[in-house]
Amino acid sequence: MSIQSELKTRFNDAVIEVYVQKDGKPGVVVAPESLAEVCRFLHDSGFDHLSLISGTDRVEWLEVIYHIWSYTRKENVVLKVKLDRDKPVVDSVASVWRGANWMERETYDLVGIRFNGHPNLRRILLPDPWEGHPLRRDYDMSVDQYVYIDEDGKDVVTTDASKLLREEALHGKN
Amino acid sequence: MARTEEYQLNVGPVHPSTHGVLRFVLTMDGETIKDTEMVLGQLHRGIEKIAESRSYLQFIPYTDRLDYISGMTNNYGFTKAVEDLAGITVPKKAEYLRVFVMELNRIVNHLVCIGSLLLDLGAATMIIYGFRERHKVLDLFESLCGARMTFNYIRPGGVRGDIPEGFIDNAKEFLRDMPKRIGDYAQLINDNEIVHMRMKGVGMLSPEDAINYGVTGPMLRGSGVSYDIRKDDPYSVYEELDFKACTRPECDTYARYIVRMDEMYESLYIAEQALDKIEHLSGSVNTHFPRIFTPPEGEVYSRIEAPKGELGFYIASDGGTRPYRVKIRSPPFCSLQALPQMVEGLKIPDLVAAFGIVDIALGDVDR
Repeated sequence: MSIQSELKTRFNDAVIEVYVQKDGKPGVVVAPESLAEVCRFLHDSGFDHLSLISGTDRVEWLEVIYHIWSYTRKENVVLKVKLDRDKPVVDSVASVWRGANWMERETYDLVGIRFNGHPNLRRILLPDPWEGHPLRRDYDMSVDQYVYIDEDGKDVVTTDASKLLREEALHGKN
Repeated sequence: MARTEEYQLNVGPVHPSTHGVLRFVLTMDGETIKDTEMVLGQLHRGIEKIAESRSYLQFIPYTDRLDYISGMTNNYGFTKAVEDLAGITVPKKAEYLRVFVMELNRIVNHLVCIGSLLLDLGAATMIIYGFRERHKVLDLFESLCGARMTFNYIRPGGVRGDIPEGFIDNAKEFLRDMPKRIGDYAQLINDNEIVHMRMKGVGMLSPEDAINYGVTGPMLRGSGVSYDIRKDDPYSVYEELDFKACTRPECDTYARYIVRMDEMYESLYIAEQALDKIEHLSGSVNTHFPRIFTPPEGEVYSRIEAPKGELGFYIASDGGTRPYRVKIRSPPFCSLQALPQMVEGLKIPDLVAAFGIVDIALGDVDR
């Protein structure tokens, strides 16, 4: 039985759609509220390697995609959840695969999706006070943000370049 | 009775043993590491964002700058995703050329990894030897594509150019000399007592934990899991080549080191077979790849066995000339997560050993 129909029989209502990715990997669109349950089931039935978590901004909605591989069954499965743009929240799977921890942090950092129950949901690549999530389609690329370290050693983000030592270099003033 | 108090110790971001700009915040109890926190992002250049405003061909040079030690495998990782997306088939000769350069790149990567690890442990000899052999490979690459680090050689539809005159002879000379060189390194390092004391039993990671953390590549095989994407989910022409996945069951730093040494022999063996095919195949090394390339709409995720582990590219295309979204699964980013568990209860010098063998390039971790 293919993994798609296996999931369909077990989680009837939670499986919104089945599809095939362009490279032939079987994909399943899952309702966000059942994601953690589906992931736990997949992990326990042999899908032990979480390859990748990625988030995409589709303008009307946001989606999170999980590429999962089984070492024992040598099979792929792709899970996808579609989230409301105004309230992009989904359950964390870091308790299922510990490797999800940083990938979820990165997705939060760059795409702005919040993961419920994540042990440490902070930005990972950008400094903590950064404004906005760069991989969103509506991220304003024309505003430059500068990072400097204040007297307490904390990162501070500002759009005011006059705070930087390199002010002259930035504005070409001599 | 002596009372100890926990304190925090900062290592990096600019520290020789962090191989770039990575910062550790260690929670210490006396000299014992209790917890490790890593602060990433100092080399974050927003490559995934850049990808959204570049055409597919224009993005390939950026992949060279991810894991800057093994540019060829990065080129191929992205190229394979594009080829999967558009259903492009490539001439056999080009595939063998790709395999040949990727395997030489694997040797280069392992030489740099082992060299810098031993440098961190206080043995400066190996990095000099490693770089000597690395230069021989880079000379070969330079004759192929003109560059020594940022190759931009493998591209959708084939490779940039056919082999130049004299390439086969130079490559054969390298393949002939290299096994003896690896033997020399093994003689220097493998039975060295200090190396044993620093690496054996250090940085233990059980196979179950390694899988759960998403650790891949030589790190996973050093934990006794015989898994190699070239074998288990084959791509390119690896199915036609004879090689084995190198594993060790000890789960420690020394096992991961031995896996890398064994892999260099295997890579040489694969490269030898590929070179033999390149010599006897004729014809083009390119299929037509349109200058204005618009792949069909859809998503792909393609992964390859890069020297550092599973390198994956997820591309979502909307049918336009530029990718809608590119997501890079970088192997060291995922492997690093296991480090706090590996070094818990060890001393700081052990952190250097356990971390060195994870083999990271910060360009790949931070992207």
